[in-house]
Amino acid sequence: MIGLGTACESKSGTDTGTPAASGAPIVVGSTLSLSGAFAATGAIHKIVGEQFVDQLNARGGLLGRQVRWVVRDDESDQAKVSTLYEQLISQDRVDLIIGPYATPNILSAMAVAQRHGYLLPQHTSVLAPLMTYDCQFPGWSIGPKPNEFVPNQLFDAVASLPNPPVKVAILTNQNGSTDFVSYGAQGDQTGAVSIAKQRGLNVVAEIRYPPATTDWAPIAVQVRNAAPDLVVNNGIGVDPVNLLQAMAQLGYKPPLMFSLFPAPGPPLGLGATSDGLLSVTIFEPNKATVDKLGKEAADIVGEFKNRAGAAKLPYTVFETQAAASWTAWEILAAAVKGSGGLDQKALCDKLHRDGADTTFNGHLTFDPKAHNFWPPTQAIKQIQGSDWVTVWPADRAAAQLRRPGS
Amino acid sequence: MVTLQSALTGLLLGGLYALMAAGLSVTWGVLRIINLAHFGLILVSAYLTFQLSTRSGLDPILTLVVTVPVMFVAGGALQWAYDRLGISELNSLLVSFGLLIIIVQVASNVWSADFQRMDATVNPYATAAVDTGRLIFPVTTLLAFLIAIGFIGGAHLVLQRTFTGRAMRAFAEDRAIAGAFGIDHRRLGVLLGAVCGATAAVAGMLFALANALTPATAYEWFGTVFAVVILGGIGHLLGTLAAGLFVGALSGVVSVLLSPAAAPFVLFCAIVLALLVRPRGLFVRTVR
Repeated sequence: MIGLGTACESKSGTDTGTPAASGAPIVVGSTLSLSGAFAATGAIHKIVGEQFVDQLNARGGLLGRQVRWVVRDDESDQAKVSTLYEQLISQDRVDLIIGPYATPNILSAMAVAQRHGYLLPQHTSVLAPLMTYDCQFPGWSIGPKPNEFVPNQLFDAVASLPNPPVKVAILTNQNGSTDFVSYGAQGDQTGAVSIAKQRGLNVVAEIRYPPATTDWAPIAVQVRNAAPDLVVNNGIGVDPVNLLQAMAQLGYKPPLMFSLFPAPGPPLGLGATSDGLLSVTIFEPNKATVDKLGKEAADIVGEFKNRAGAAKLPYTVFETQAAASWTAWEILAAAVKGSGGLDQKALCDKLHRDGADTTFNGHLTFDPKAHNFWPPTQAIKQIQGSDWVTVWPADRAAAQLRRPGS
Repeated sequence: MVTLQSALTGLLLGGLYALMAAGLSVTWGVLRIINLAHFGLILVSAYLTFQLSTRSGLDPILTLVVTVPVMFVAGGALQWAYDRLGISELNSLLVSFGLLIIIVQVASNVWSADFQRMDATVNPYATAAVDTGRLIFPVTTLLAFLIAIGFIGGAHLVLQRTFTGRAMRAFAEDRAIAGAFGIDHRRLGVLLGAVCGATAAVAGMLFALANALTPATAYEWFGTVFAVVILGGIGHLLGTLAAGLFVGALSGVVSVLLSPAAAPFVLFCAIVLALLVRPRGLFVRTVR
């Protein structure tokens, strides 16, 4: 009874030399935020999912069967996510599921998956302490303690500069996906604020703002007056754009600024105002990085660009969100191929036992004690010129970390 | 000085809130239509500003040459349809919300759900400011403030001093009596809807000057804009202007003195208190 919602059915022909898939298709069910607050990023995950399924089917599908992906719009509504996953599993009886986008939605889907014992590869929830279901497998990992890893990695990176920052302003969006990086979660209050102080940095401004902030000037004024060496904006979406713009209106630009989860395209449109902005990444298609990964990665990046352009996305670069999505799909495929069937427990056990090979994050191992969060591959990126470039750690850097304008 | 600067920028931003609210307030107060599709017109205007500037290289402010006539027609057509279908005040809430959903979905299909923003190359206003030495006036919000004063002040004068304005007020007071005196409510309603559409075009342009656009943005305006409409008094243009400026300034001050996180809480507490004291709106003269 699968027919409602946006069904993405892929029946691409097979490549020459690959076995033709036969039999009833394997159905993968999921929701995505195709409208509402998370839709901007949901659109990226939809394109990646379609691209992955098309490629999978072109190579013979899974277990000799074509794969069909049924994706429904959860409208960025956590309550709808639970209902839709319940329908997918109980009524539509899909063979497999994959996670939705955005941490709150993933948490809702996880509860349903756990109740039914379904394997749940998920794209982007990095909040390890909350992801307690043994059979959820993340496509993006900041390790078991992201609230410690992110600030420490950032402070390590900027400490490598010739004149490292001493005074720090920490601006935090009170969004569930960002607040924990400043203030911790689940009883552990370690975060950017406490870590900055532990490292001897002087926290000169500490501001929390609501997700629907429209007036950025009061924040910008306070930051300007505090005169920090580094602004840490644990924000999301276009927060850094709004902040930089408000500060520019005051004739001020912070010497160095970091933003946690920005929409990648809009900051580039700010020109010199955003030069030097730092953020996190698990993948940027910088030439050196793509060359190192090889032709398959280059083809994925190129194909995504075509599809994103056709879908009229303004920023068509295959980067962190897309890489996380691709990784989650690879985890799902690895589980099915490895176990040779669709038994959910066997799929889960297979991943715990043998891990999964992925294009952008290498071989992943999953330890239930760490809630399956693999050793972080997350890095720091920076706007240099008109592109995002990976700059830290040194062994993954495509360019050197630098101060804006230097 | 930090508090004063924040109050000032908040006050200027309040001009945008007032412009967004003016059309909604007037259609509600005069035509008895709670037109949530007005948010859709603002959204489409913002996207058209983005589109015309980015693709054609037109100065974002000059896009009004195109968007104002387009939204004038759209606003008039919308009101004509509401009237022809005989939609009541309460039903208009549901019907116009449905229209808004359709507009948002169409915007998603045309411009994608991803963030769209005018680059610095086509939009020099985003980071520009007038610096007086002690205080800074960001150009985007300064424009919103000045346009709101001009537009709403002008509209108020029209309502007070012209025959058309008096006819509209008479119509708002009592449709039957106004009709008996020969006032063509349909024609007047379409004209008013068209003017409200034009205000949506201006508000959309001003929003696009300073912000990134996503289709879901339209829903984020509800809270503040409705607060301004209610606080200013439904259908009262000058009240809407004053309420917009008040809401903007109060948010700015609270953001600095307490925290940006406290601003919505304090704002809506103040609004509830204000309405307990003056249920018809903070800026409406009560007749005893």
